[in-house]
Amino acid sequence: MMDTVLDKPLKTFIEVAEVWVPQGDRLVLDAGSYGELNDFAAVSGQESFGRGEGLPGKAWAEARPVVLKDFEGSYFKRTEAAKAAGLTSAVAVPVFAGDVLKAVLVVLCADDRNRTGAIEVWAEADGLLTLDDGYYGAARHFEWVSQHTQFPRGQGLPGGVWAAMTPMLFRDLGSGYRFIRAESAGEAGLTTGLGLPVPVPGKKTYVLTLLSARGTPIARRFEIWDARAAKVGAAKEAVLVDGICAREGPLWDDETERRVSVWQGAIGKVLGTGLPVLEDGTPGLSAGYGSMVGLPIYRGGELAHIVAWYC
Amino acid sequence: MKKLVVIGAGMASGRALEHLLEAAPDTYEITLFNAEPRGNYNRIMLSPVLSGEKTYEEIVTHDDAWYVANGVTTRFGEKVARIDRDRKVVVSETGDELAYDKLLIATGSNPFIVPLPGHDLDGVIAYRDLEDTNRMIDASGIPGAKAVVIGGGLLGLEAAAGLRLRGMDVTVIHIMGHLMDRQLDAAAGYLLRKALVDRGIKVMCSANSKEIRGEDGKVRALLLEDGTELPCDLLVMAVGIRPNVALGKEAGLAVGRAIHVDDQMVTSDPDILAVGECVEHQGAIFGLVAPLYDQAKVVAQTLLGEDATFVQRQVSTKLKVTGCDLFSAGDFADGEGREDIVFRDPARGVYKRLVIEKDKVIGAVMYGDTADGNWFYGLIKDGADISEMRETLIFGPAFQGGAAADPMAAVAALPPEAEICGCNGVCKGQIVDAIANGAADLGAVRAVTKASASCGSCTGLVEQVLAVTLGDAFQLPASQPMCGCTELTHEDVRRLIKAQELKSMPAVWQELGWKTKDGCHVCRPALNFYLLADWPLEYTDDPQSRFINERKHANIQKDGTFSVVPRMWGGITNPAELRAIADAAEKYDVPTVKVTGGQRIDLLGVKSEDLPFIWADLNAAGLVSGHAYSKGLRTVKTCVGTDHCRFGTQDSTGLGIKLEKALWGSWTPHKVKLAVSGCPRNCAEATCKDVGVVCVDSGYQIGVGGAAGMDVKETQPLALVPTEQEAIDMTVAFVQLYRENAKYLDRPYKWIAKVGLDWVKDQIVADPDNRQALIDRFAVSQSVYQKDPWAEHAAERAETYTPIANLTLEAAE
Repeated sequence: MMDTVLDKPLKTFIEVAEVWVPQGDRLVLDAGSYGELNDFAAVSGQESFGRGEGLPGKAWAEARPVVLKDFEGSYFKRTEAAKAAGLTSAVAVPVFAGDVLKAVLVVLCADDRNRTGAIEVWAEADGLLTLDDGYYGAARHFEWVSQHTQFPRGQGLPGGVWAAMTPMLFRDLGSGYRFIRAESAGEAGLTTGLGLPVPVPGKKTYVLTLLSARGTPIARRFEIWDARAAKVGAAKEAVLVDGICAREGPLWDDETERRVSVWQGAIGKVLGTGLPVLEDGTPGLSAGYGSMVGLPIYRGGELAHIVAWYC
Repeated sequence: MKKLVVIGAGMASGRALEHLLEAAPDTYEITLFNAEPRGNYNRIMLSPVLSGEKTYEEIVTHDDAWYVANGVTTRFGEKVARIDRDRKVVVSETGDELAYDKLLIATGSNPFIVPLPGHDLDGVIAYRDLEDTNRMIDASGIPGAKAVVIGGGLLGLEAAAGLRLRGMDVTVIHIMGHLMDRQLDAAAGYLLRKALVDRGIKVMCSANSKEIRGEDGKVRALLLEDGTELPCDLLVMAVGIRPNVALGKEAGLAVGRAIHVDDQMVTSDPDILAVGECVEHQGAIFGLVAPLYDQAKVVAQTLLGEDATFVQRQVSTKLKVTGCDLFSAGDFADGEGREDIVFRDPARGVYKRLVIEKDKVIGAVMYGDTADGNWFYGLIKDGADISEMRETLIFGPAFQGGAAADPMAAVAALPPEAEICGCNGVCKGQIVDAIANGAADLGAVRAVTKASASCGSCTGLVEQVLAVTLGDAFQLPASQPMCGCTELTHEDVRRLIKAQELKSMPAVWQELGWKTKDGCHVCRPALNFYLLADWPLEYTDDPQSRFINERKHANIQKDGTFSVVPRMWGGITNPAELRAIADAAEKYDVPTVKVTGGQRIDLLGVKSEDLPFIWADLNAAGLVSGHAYSKGLRTVKTCVGTDHCRFGTQDSTGLGIKLEKALWGSWTPHKVKLAVSGCPRNCAEATCKDVGVVCVDSGYQIGVGGAAGMDVKETQPLALVPTEQEAIDMTVAFVQLYRENAKYLDRPYKWIAKVGLDWVKDQIVADPDNRQALIDRFAVSQSVYQKDPWAEHAAERAETYTPIANLTLEAAE
């Protein structure tokens, strides 16, 4: 039934996901999902980053999501290992609870002319969201279009996320963006879009979007959980507000609520730790998927939402 | 097998079929007609399809495979033309006949289209089904396209939010004063409006549509009653639904507002049942899905010969706009014996209100925090006695002793560069530095930084900075709150209305954490004045927040009659006006005609129902309201000046008339009286007025802050100016400064005592630019408020002055 997310992709868009957490004055590896890239995993396990150092340290120091598309000659510290693993691009997303850095999520992608997708960072300037940076794989024309697109509040996926201050999952990027980015998105095969706010200290506004294509989806299952006290009460719980899965179809249900408690499964682990959670090869993941990323989103220092994607 | 024919494949009949097939799949041979060319889908989820947050496929409840698997014969896209009850057949639009043993009518409802001129233009649509949704999606594909949505209810707002996400420029027109008025009160409606405006949606409440304008057969704009034209490429009408009863009515079934059904969902024909939005049960019709599903269950059981009874229950409402959390259930109208429990958290944008009657929760409205919505809904449905938990009820089931919101939190959160004292440009950081250097009380801070040393309106704020910085080492002086609804003083409220740009009463109540739902008789008149004085163009005067004299535009007397005082500019009248006054006095049996201290004629003893007519008569003679009842300009008393008096130095009458013509109609914190005397002998008694001008050889002495009531005060000299125009400018600027800064019900002398005459002089006399700015702002306000209320009320609101009809006469007839 679902044509927005395919069950058996040739390759996923994201190869590696890592969670770096502050320990003293450095970021150390808390968890990593490396697939078969064992050498890169080994190098990463040895690494740590000071504030401003390497990609995670830069996201921490500059308090913003950072896109890095060319490791060679850059501040990226694991260039050789990445090169050996075929990884060429990375996005670092800081997770702040108020002014406190909880973690930095880093995702790495392999350069492949056949892989289409997009990870975009939108930043507010003069009352509009403009593209700060993005990684698009083979979707070069769409990249160009996005660079020349602006979103006012309430418009499109980035503008919608900005206005609602909540993650949103769009099914209809292709036809839905219509005059904004539609044609190009449609041509690039981009269908499903997950947008999420990236709160940082200060007044800056960032929105991260993950746009998934049919052949090389970013993930095969997306979930958005609402964990705000205003929604679930004082208990540490979360309710599933939207989701879509290649295996199970739509995950939302307007009559029966799906709810998890703290420490209940992978989402419960995000609730309990307040940190991004990576599961790789863990038995019992939803719908039998092999890996998942659960990313907490804070609002005013309180855990507000969790977005999760599964491959 | 018996034959069951179902007309309409909507959510209600779909759920009924599910129950029926689950309980007894082989009881009926089922044929399902649907006018739409598709089967059952979750219609209430069309909004996320419109916005792009769902696909149509996701909201399909029964796909083709389901109908096949359950042996349901589908005839989609085929209308039923009529029902022949005698022969027990339905006749399709193609003339095909199909017999039934039982018939289930589930024809739903039709959207109501307001019959405005132009409603049939291309581009004017309702919001009901997938076709409408797809038309909206298509319309949003045109670059720069504009949409107008008529109707600020659930559907209209969901349409607006979806169209906005699709990239359209969207305006919502709502006829009532706040959005979703059937589900929300004004406070929650305010927060919802704010959230939608934050999404870039324009919202116009209390707006009446007049005409839809088109070009080449296509919609071009919506014209409102007030003349505003809103260009649009798409006009969505979402103003309500009408049960679709045509088939049932034509078949001769009992039909009222919809098809009558009994508790078993059986119509007046025992073999015909009905379900969903097309039914009327015990006088009620239905638009939300929950009761429809209850009906569906009963329908299935009735069809299976089981006992079942449909019982209406309270419904709750949610809005499907991502990021807007609202909840509404039960009855929250004002009523005798009902009490409100209100909780607000301005910082989090939270408003919760429970309506209690006889120790039971009968209604709940919440915005921004809906976690406990279902718990309250349960209390409403169960009629639970809440007397034991009344004190903590509003905090919900997980109440853990939450403290009231800290009023100082906002001050604590201000950054160092935030300006505290606007007069002297003092920031929070400077005050904090002064405190760090030893200034431990208001006097010391004032001496070091000059903060609060001028107009003094920031005194409370400076004290709060002291308290935040010094902790319990500083004792906040007890300040007089405005009323029981708030801890804030009048000065705080005035300052915050300006600083936070609060432009409506609900905005003030919510953002300043009012403890009551909608204020009280003390704060409402004050807020009404502050808002109209600060935002003359944006805020609409609220007559319900005025004292009776201002509502009736006449002073109520102790016997319940009213006094009528026409304006006489500068105390000058003429024979024609006097004749009109005399005629009116005779015509309306006015028992007392008196000359007032302010040089006017007062007609005392006018009956309420005669007011519009006596005004109309006086208006016809060119007389307008003298505003003798208002917190506004009353009179400008004059002496005869150079025209007649041997001692007159200037044209005092002429100046008085000019001042009165400039100032009349303006609302002020308290009444304002003026006088102009032509020489220092002061025959017009100008030195005991709020503003008194005494003409001298060298020009005009302007005094302010006089009084001759409970307190007697002589005016204090504001300025001596050489020209008449400067005298007018000074006076107008003074009145505007008073309007912008004084506490409600402080006469000018009281206000001047608080802020100091020097500060007033600095603003008006020493600073010509500021003086001109005050005059300009006064002119803007007068563009709205300088109008004769008599003419308006006589023409438009005469019925409000008539007592409720005496029904004993009708009964006698």
